Amino acid sequence: MKKSLKLTDIARGEDTQLTEINPDELIPLPPPYDKVEELPGFKRLTEEQRERLVCNLDGVVSYAALPKPGNKQEEKKYVEQFVSGLKKLLSKENNWTFLQPLLLSIDYCARCQTCNDACPIYLASDLNDLYRPTYRSEIFRLLVNKYVRPGGKLRAKLSGSDIELNWTTISRLYELSYRCNLCRRCAQSCPMGVDNALITRELRKLFSQELGWAPKELHEKGTVLQLEVGSPTGMRPNVAIDNLHFLDEEFTETTGIEVSTTWDKEGADILLIHSAGDIIAFPESPISFSILCNAAGISWTLSSEVGGYDGVNYGLFYDDIQLARVAIRHAQIAKKLGVKKIVMGECGHQHKAFMTVADRLLTGDLDIPRESVMTFLENLVFSGKIEFDPSKNDFPVTLHDPCNIVRNLGIVEPQRRILNYLCPQFREMTPHGVDNYCCGGGGGFSVMSDVNFTDWKVHVAGRMKFKQVIEAFDGQPGPEVKKYICAPCLNCKMQFRDLLDYYGAREKSGIICGGLAELIVNAMVDMKKPFIGWEER
Amino acid sequence: MSFFLIALTYFAYVFIVVMYAVKVVKIVRMPVHLRWELYPVIHEPKSDYGSSYYEDFEQWKKNRRKTLRKGIFFLLRENFCFSEYFKRNRGYWLVLFPWHIGFILIVIFHIVCFFGALVMVAGVSVSAESTFILGRTFYYLILLTGVISFVTGSIGSIGLLIKRLSDKDLRAFTTPQNYFNYLFTLVIFLSGLYAWYFVDPTFSEYRGFWKGLITLSPVPVDYAAAAHIILFALFLIYLPFTRSLHYITKFFAYLWIRWNDAPKDKKMVEELNGLLDQPVSWSAPHIPSGRTWAEIASEKTSDEEKP
Ligand code: SF4
Ligand code: SF4
Repeated sequence: MKKSLKLTDIARGEDTQLTEINPDELIPLPPPYDKVEELPGFKRLTEEQRERLVCNLDGVVSYAALPKPGNKQEEKKYVEQFVSGLKKLLSKENNWTFLQPLLLSIDYCARCQTCNDACPIYLASDLNDLYRPTYRSEIFRLLVNKYVRPGGKLRAKLSGSDIELNWTTISRLYELSYRCNLCRRCAQSCPMGVDNALITRELRKLFSQELGWAPKELHEKGTVLQLEVGSPTGMRPNVAIDNLHFLDEEFTETTGIEVSTTWDKEGADILLIHSAGDIIAFPESPISFSILCNAAGISWTLSSEVGGYDGVNYGLFYDDIQLARVAIRHAQIAKKLGVKKIVMGECGHQHKAFMTVADRLLTGDLDIPRESVMTFLENLVFSGKIEFDPSKNDFPVTLHDPCNIVRNLGIVEPQRRILNYLCPQFREMTPHGVDNYCCGGGGGFSVMSDVNFTDWKVHVAGRMKFKQVIEAFDGQPGPEVKKYICAPCLNCKMQFRDLLDYYGAREKSGIICGGLAELIVNAMVDMKKPFIGWEER
Repeated sequence: MSFFLIALTYFAYVFIVVMYAVKVVKIVRMPVHLRWELYPVIHEPKSDYGSSYYEDFEQWKKNRRKTLRKGIFFLLRENFCFSEYFKRNRGYWLVLFPWHIGFILIVIFHIVCFFGALVMVAGVSVSAESTFILGRTFYYLILLTGVISFVTGSIGSIGLLIKRLSDKDLRAFTTPQNYFNYLFTLVIFLSGLYAWYFVDPTFSEYRGFWKGLITLSPVPVDYAAAAHIILFALFLIYLPFTRSLHYITKFFAYLWIRWNDAPKDKKMVEELNGLLDQPVSWSAPHIPSGRTWAEIASEKTSDEEKP
């Protein structure tokens, strides 16, 4: 049941939940998805899970391995570690990377609550206090003022919200830092320039860099795996080569076009770095690039170095050190190959992490030009080197804007120029462009699925987006008309896959989701059979 | 009393300038940070729909068409009209706008008083009947800015109090200091209004005080005007202990973070190299403590080269 929350509630009530998610209390979805009783229910925690796991926030657990203190000493240790992390976040040596943005966001919020109305999670929850962008930020602010700044204890008393730092506060804050997509829609709407998403990320950083707590999908099976074996998918270099080789053969057979992937070509013009997850989950995507690059006569290559065939950088979501390690690895690989530029795959956070956030970490000869896949594809489509027949794409298409490519990087129009040219039934969602709603998979969520987190993702985080999608295809609701969500980002596609599966939207509305390159290949005159397979997705 | 008013006013102005300067210098001297821009970036030529220079194929080969002027105009407009609030939170704007207009005009009122006093020292009489156009201009400017400031400021202070108390969401995030601020500003604006209406309808006392301030020859002022002068001086001393600097820090937040899309230059690279050479002391197991940022990020031992 939803209830009004005070800031101080975060520290109270020990193991009791602060709120509970009830699907019938969320904003309603358009028909045929408006009948809550006809949808699969929300996966509740069992008694055994409640006993074993830390579940004192909203009945959802995103990280089963969050340790529980066994006694008072252990609790004290966590509190001390948290305070030490807060201090490091505010120090030049440990956090020069984001010190200025963080302090400006901590110190100059006017507490006007304007940003809340921009948050898709808060809106989807029908204004649940816990999910306000300002709720976690204000708590963080109060803790910084109390525990790091001079006269903090007195300030806390005068603030009217004296929050005690105990195990309950810390564990709830950890979970709460993973109830935000880092989409920065709230930041965009703040008249003061305050960034609640940045505060959330700093909180995640504190947990990761000081206490060693981070979702296993992002850290242990994410960046750590990527740096050790090559990819968070677990694919080692030889497996990646084998998989793509197999796909090349398979697609050569099914399309009738010779498909081949170039590996480790020194001196190539372009090093293309896909998300390796595409090879497994959306193989049409990397194959499309191979077809397009070969058809346009581009000198290109993939890399089989450890980490070089997977462009994802989960460090962007939780840890500066891991972010830097992955970005530097990518740049070192490109330097070794001697390519003229690196082209990002269809991956939003890869774009943001590598093109701008890590830009100031890539100095000297690691500063290799980096191109977005959007401008790369636009240049290719309008180069005249490939012939297209847009009537092949004569089905309803809508475009999802990945936050990290659009709001966070300002690449808005190239993808639209392609779709306007190649897709006669292209229509926008409302709102779109830099005002878009996150798919709900942002901030690392699309790969996170511990305990019952997927249920929260599809019910709450992705709700506004799912609503938008259904509304974009208004007028053609039935499954007889096949519809395509173009989501040029692996993480977004994975989130859409979860949403479409959960709501049965493929069967009920005929909606599938794929990337941009597939639509381009589908419209090629040389492509004798439809490239987009509506059935398999 | 007259001397006390002059001393207090001087102290208040010096205090606020020094305190603000210290705070601003602290922010300015913070190290360069990683890029974290957010679109629309207003100085971009195609900012209407949020586009950046990354929309240009091989953008690094092209000249950037950045126009700082557009950003500054946007921020100034924002600081005077609060258009973002008007667009996104109209109910709040209705009370916030008069409150801030009260501040802006009270500052202008004091600036005009200062220059008006200079003009008076130069021998120009400042009054409605002055034979000099300059004298009449200053007279009406002081009158208008003063009165409008006191009225709008009072409306805004009361409005914000009511808004924050009556709106459940705002109430949950309002601190006792916020309420104190609204009450304090209300008292200041009302004291000015009272002094003008009942004691000094042409602000002649106030003009005289400012002339005395500049020539260091205190003149006696009426108790109501004196009360307003004292309250305003105390307010100036109090301001650095509030979040009032957001009027200035907003420029930093926009220009240096939200719109900071600057690629590296030589000076920045030098600074970055220095920062990358600093040792890191985070405690998580994946961060070997004591080694430098560069060593940790490039996974090299200290005797190898940094990135
Ligand atoms: S973050 Fe911005 S919009 Fe939100 S409460 Fe603070 S000042 Fe207002
Ligand atoms: S970043 Fe996005 S999801 Fe997170 S609080 Fe802001 S608007 Fe909500």
